[in-house]
Amino acid sequence: MEASRQLEPRLTLEDLRPRTPEKRRFSDRFMPRRNSYILFDPAKCTGCGTCEMICSTRNVAKVAPASASVKVLTDERLGKNFAVLCQHCRRPLCLEACPTRAIEKGDDGIVRINDLFCVDCGLCTMACPEAAPLKDPGTGDIHKCDLCEGDPLCVQHCPEGALTYTRGKAFRWIKAARWGVQALSFLFLVILVVGTFCYFRAGTVELSCPTGTLQNIASSGTLILVGASSALALLILTVLFGRVFCGWVCPFGFVLDLVDKIVPKRIGWPKFLKSRMAKYGILGGAVGSSAALGYQAFCTVCPIGTLCRSYGVTSFMQSAELAIVPALAATELAERRSWCRYLCPVGATLGIASLLRLLKIVIGARKCKKFSCIQCAEVCPVGIINADELREGISPKIPMTECIMCLRCVDRCPYDAAKIRFRWQKSTPGEANT
Amino acid sequence: MKPRRDKIEEAKKLSGAPGCVECGRCVAACPMAEMYADFGIEMSPRGIIKKTLVGDDVVEDRNIWYCTECNSGTDVCPQGVSCRDLIRRLREAAIEENVVDNAKRCRACGRFFLAVPVEDFVLGRLKAEPPNVLEALETCPSCRREIYLLRNA
Repeated sequence: MEASRQLEPRLTLEDLRPRTPEKRRFSDRFMPRRNSYILFDPAKCTGCGTCEMICSTRNVAKVAPASASVKVLTDERLGKNFAVLCQHCRRPLCLEACPTRAIEKGDDGIVRINDLFCVDCGLCTMACPEAAPLKDPGTGDIHKCDLCEGDPLCVQHCPEGALTYTRGKAFRWIKAARWGVQALSFLFLVILVVGTFCYFRAGTVELSCPTGTLQNIASSGTLILVGASSALALLILTVLFGRVFCGWVCPFGFVLDLVDKIVPKRIGWPKFLKSRMAKYGILGGAVGSSAALGYQAFCTVCPIGTLCRSYGVTSFMQSAELAIVPALAATELAERRSWCRYLCPVGATLGIASLLRLLKIVIGARKCKKFSCIQCAEVCPVGIINADELREGISPKIPMTECIMCLRCVDRCPYDAAKIRFRWQKSTPGEANT
Repeated sequence: MKPRRDKIEEAKKLSGAPGCVECGRCVAACPMAEMYADFGIEMSPRGIIKKTLVGDDVVEDRNIWYCTECNSGTDVCPQGVSCRDLIRRLREAAIEENVVDNAKRCRACGRFFLAVPVEDFVLGRLKAEPPNVLEALETCPSCRREIYLLRNA
């Protein structure tokens, strides 16, 4: 009996209705799709339950708050109200858990339950970290928000305006500005003027690379005040705004960001290679070797320097130097900005300078939608946003010496939870005193 | 406290199980076939109805804990037998009798809210998720919402 059942070919859901993998278009890398959300502001909610009532009219064609896709919770003790509704996760757990594959995520980002296949088993409720699919206690039916296909009734009828429907930012001006600044600085530092990042002089204005200056001091054994003061410009910029150089100006960083757009799949580094302190070691090694050898040994292989010296229209085009940039840009295959994360001694110098920085990035876990989004951690090119902390409802501590101030997280967050703050400001977005 | 036999008898009567004609429609509709590789007559709604009718001690049976308590078996039954109600009552009886090896307690409120095989299925599907997401699934849905309120409101 047992054996005969094993031998019979069994049709599974995979045969009947194979799951279509999420379509990932190449254009998504440049223009991420704008998904729809309902934003809920607990500070405005009075717990009146209008959203429940109006939602149930759509679900069961009568006013029955128990059949709604939204649930208003009130905490009498704390005097707080909250509405639980589907966040249309980017990777929905309910979709994974559904035994009949009734839950689908559309191209527009809306997670829908297909009533044809749904058997109201309630496993989606069990799998959802917010338990947002609601089981009607009367009929046992599962109701889940489908954003009313783009025009949510609850948003229309909320008397306090606590619910807002948004499709995210239409124009990401930070992104546009950053790419513009990066392209301009690449044009200036690499193409137009040779060797500008390492050393630049126009009239009385003198600028130089701080790491190069450190090596210069080490190799010559004398403190050249003019050189040191010219290196200060970048350090002062870093003290004011953090490592904006790395995120917005660095020509090699721009190359890495461009390479990143065409990397098909990331391999990742083995764990023992991932040490962010390594760059400080390289900085020490660069300065030490300069002192020992009497010339700036590291600068001859520095990708930022070789990029500036060899790739411009009037540059030397030395074949050995030409090879360094593509070789290090290939590290992008493993992790985004691997060079900046683990190796760059210029970043290390600026990291030390940014210990005195005035600005910081904060991500307020209260405004963040926890499990459903985590886009900030995904877009962070140096990978310093702790997604696990966010999921646990803790505002993650962002190590600002590692942050390259590219502001991708601020730009991307649809819930306005990621913000720039002054260093001494204690509050995070979503708390009462902001 | 009522004897166990009476509880099974009551569950049988209230769910309409004696009307079962063993057509097997509930088995065809049952989502458990998709969920468990070893789905068979023992754990199918028809099998459980049969076992109840012949007078087995179903309360001790592990097979009553595989059901997701959906309503698809009842929806298709020509005789109006509610296999969900039967299994739900059998589970209630089992919890009263303290046969709770396969029942899952909410970590926050301590109530039984899920059967262990069903939970295993859900966790099996969510293997790729980070552990702190799965931690949220240890509590019952209403506690989960409550925790979410306290965190965010």
